[in-house]
Amino acid sequence: MVDNQAGGKRHVDAIVIGAGPAGLCGAIAIAESIGDGTKVLVVDEGIEPGGQLPKQTHKFFGHEGFYASVRGFEIGKRLVDKARELGINFLMQTTLAGIYEDSIVAYDRNSNSVSEYTADYILIATGASERFLLFKNNTLPGVYGAGAVQTLMNQYKVMPGKSFLIIGAGNIGLIVAYQLLQAGAKVKAIVEATSKIGGYMVHANKIMRLGIPILLNHTIISALGEDRVEGAIIAQVDGKFKPIPGTEKEIAVDTICLAVGLQPSVELVAQTGAEIKYISELGGYVPVRDENMKTTVNNVYVAGDLSGIEEASTAMIEGYIAGYNIAQKITGKDMSEKITNMKNELVEFRKGPFAAKVREGLKKMGISFPGGGYREEIQQMPSSLSRLKAVIECPQAIPCNPCETSCPTGAINTGGNINGVPQVDYEKCTGCGICVTKCPGLAIFLVQQREEHSIVGIPYEFLPVPEKGSSVKLLDKNGKYVADGQIDRVMINRKEKTHIAFLKVPKGMEGVVRHFEMSTVSEESQAYICRCEEVSRNDVEKLIDSGITDYEEIRRVLRIGMGPCGGKTCRSVVLQIISEKTGVPISESRLGAFRPPVIPLPIDAIVRYAKGVGTDE
Amino acid sequence: MSEVKGAYNVCIIGGGITGTALAYSLCNLGETSVAVFEKSYLSSGSTGRCGGGIRQQWSTKNNVRLAMRSVELFEHFKEDVGTDIEYYQGGYLMLSYDEEEAKQFEKNVEIQREEGLDVEILTPKQVSERYPYINTEDLVLATFCQKDGHANPHKAVIGYAQAARRMGARIYTHTEVLGIDVQNGKVVGVDTNQGYFKCDAVVNASGPWSKQVSQLVGVDLPTESYRHQIFVTEPLENFFPMMAISFAGNFYMRQAQHGQFIMGQGDKDEKPGINYNVTFKFEKELTVKMVKLFPFLRNLRIMRHWSGMYNMSPDAQPIIGQSNIVNNYFYAVGYSGHGFMVAPAVTEALAELIVLGKTTHTDISYLNVDRFANAEVEKEKNVV
Repeated sequence: MVDNQAGGKRHVDAIVIGAGPAGLCGAIAIAESIGDGTKVLVVDEGIEPGGQLPKQTHKFFGHEGFYASVRGFEIGKRLVDKARELGINFLMQTTLAGIYEDSIVAYDRNSNSVSEYTADYILIATGASERFLLFKNNTLPGVYGAGAVQTLMNQYKVMPGKSFLIIGAGNIGLIVAYQLLQAGAKVKAIVEATSKIGGYMVHANKIMRLGIPILLNHTIISALGEDRVEGAIIAQVDGKFKPIPGTEKEIAVDTICLAVGLQPSVELVAQTGAEIKYISELGGYVPVRDENMKTTVNNVYVAGDLSGIEEASTAMIEGYIAGYNIAQKITGKDMSEKITNMKNELVEFRKGPFAAKVREGLKKMGISFPGGGYREEIQQMPSSLSRLKAVIECPQAIPCNPCETSCPTGAINTGGNINGVPQVDYEKCTGCGICVTKCPGLAIFLVQQREEHSIVGIPYEFLPVPEKGSSVKLLDKNGKYVADGQIDRVMINRKEKTHIAFLKVPKGMEGVVRHFEMSTVSEESQAYICRCEEVSRNDVEKLIDSGITDYEEIRRVLRIGMGPCGGKTCRSVVLQIISEKTGVPISESRLGAFRPPVIPLPIDAIVRYAKGVGTDE
Repeated sequence: MSEVKGAYNVCIIGGGITGTALAYSLCNLGETSVAVFEKSYLSSGSTGRCGGGIRQQWSTKNNVRLAMRSVELFEHFKEDVGTDIEYYQGGYLMLSYDEEEAKQFEKNVEIQREEGLDVEILTPKQVSERYPYINTEDLVLATFCQKDGHANPHKAVIGYAQAARRMGARIYTHTEVLGIDVQNGKVVGVDTNQGYFKCDAVVNASGPWSKQVSQLVGVDLPTESYRHQIFVTEPLENFFPMMAISFAGNFYMRQAQHGQFIMGQGDKDEKPGINYNVTFKFEKELTVKMVKLFPFLRNLRIMRHWSGMYNMSPDAQPIIGQSNIVNNYFYAVGYSGHGFMVAPAVTEALAELIVLGKTTHTDISYLNVDRFANAEVEKEKNVV
């Protein structure tokens, strides 16, 4: 336990503030190196240690040394187990209230008590807080930050809403959208104010193939609702992010989830007297620090998002770097080999295009990281695949290589740099599917062209797992229906839960089909399209499936549009469905006849008029 | 000539009841190398615009026989073709308001009964007892055949088309025939806006366009198309089982399965030519007349009003057969407003003629175009 000092202050060799990936790795590094975990104290506000990790249900990128392909909550568990094994103490649900000249004060919310500490070294890994967005009615219940949504949904198992609008198409927005969909919520759209998707394309593809629109150059103007969110008004923005009048659109949702970026939580580090500087590339105000993660105050170190907004792998590496440096000072032993190894890891992780901003920001602090040196060339899918083979659709240089390291036959390589775009050696690939279940971006598919149809294996992380032989609707990479298909078989992955659903798809569609939807009759499909004649979407779809694809033919068989409204509401809906199912744009479809009268005309009125004007009887 | 897109033994021009039923009948005889070319959507021509009546009360023996065979086939439509087409044998009530016409009706009934058709002759009193919602003022007599009836023409076309597709026929909608390739007195192919198709036989089932299509082969047909208008009311609960029709009164009306009343009349002033417009004059004339005869109609509203074409022949009877000028050219046209009801029997016979070289179920030789070479033609009198 911690040493008790006079006046009730307790002393530790190192205090680590924040039990996220950076803090945990820092604490582990220190404890391992000094050989006594009890001299390290970790303080964190959360109920369980891990920071954001326990909320993360997706698999992490990177390489296996830093838990790539392992789901976030699992990484958190492994790090915490390791820390506890080393004897590290945790003060949970405890807020470090201040770093005073004379002591470090912790407030235990549970027992409503304060305690005082002194430490030889402080590693601050307080992470980041979410940016907020200004829009009308943003105080309405139902407006959440993405972190809160993840906490409620993934940690506390409470769904904050049923249908969501997500603001921001960075990795967090994309990941939350995917998690919401997995949990059974509806995501109506993701709006993004800039002109491009900020997150990884592989994350975006996971959403898009489920049919969720990502609206670029759009922002939220207002939340709608009296007592809670009932919808939102979104609009297109110009080059200066100003809403363009006349482009406003209403979306009915009960929850608005903001994922518009993070800012380092510098409050505590600032109290140590460390220099704080505004570097926008790193997320705003950040502590000035050197390449060993030491701030301008000699015994205060930082790591993770606090030192610049990045991601979990680099946070862990920074934690180790800070930890080994602190341990080196505590023990007086030379730890330079370990430190250099970690620095080299960091160099590798920061070579890619997504690290460009971080490189820019660090340069302003006098720390330089090289960029480039990785492969960007994208391999095309071979035109002929008579045996089952992996097809990788990972178009960006991102620091991630589980495909390469998991392949039992050495068929996949990232070109000697973890950031490189992976390629498959089709001579060596056996189509075993291990890479499909490992890829954190769910960006690897299995393809085989058979005589009568083709097979596409799709990484699948939804429930229920489809049954062999069931009919499905095949979707393309944008979630658009392209054809009907069937589940050929399902490869269940009980441990990692990324199953592979093998689909029978029409020949020539092996490069097109990237997801599917169960062909069950949903509530929506049973809803009436034509309320006059009580014709459901399902009725229309079934007829189209049978080969009747002309509006007039459908009208005549189902009586759609033959009721009192004369098709005023249903015609366009039916044309939309025809377009969706046949792929013919609605602008090119045949509108069908418009017949008089436009409203039901009373015979009596005609007769009275006709007699009045002297028509013979 | 455009790109060759395919080859079929039989190419049918027209995706109405004749074209689709013929495709079905050919497939039934084992001839599945069949294509139907429809320039618009299925049933877009006369079939999809017709009243849907199916009757056997005709004025000549041959027509009665043809109609009776058709009814036999309609009775088995659901099992044979696989679609419910709302076929309902609620009868045809033929109302006569003219002494002379009434006498003709009595003669017709004799012919019909000789052919084995069960037809009643009703006095105005009997009509009024049976159908209290009909005003029988001025009525001379009525005839009634319970085995007559009606069906949904769209569903019949779609049913035949889907059955033919299942058996191997190809149906090309939105495919317009632009030319028919005749070489050495034989049709060898059909040129369409979707490409050229080789064929061993071609069938003109183009309804309103029969004359123009025939001209592509170089054969004249004595047909002309005339507009007929029709409207439909909002639905009522079903209570009106039969088709009510009058030639002298110039109307027909039935209640469809869905409950709506469909009615129409002819117009002697119509000029030949294709015209799909509608007139308010028609609504005024027909509503005034019908409200008097069927007073309950006054409380209904008109839902839709459209028009279709009667492809008329000189004797108001269909022109069906094989050309003796271009001998692999067949035609089934000139139905004069009653193509839907006879299509099952006509196409059965025509398919036999094409595949077997002779008819086995119904004699249709009397409908050959050559009949107009004779000075006298026997005109079918029972036409609205």
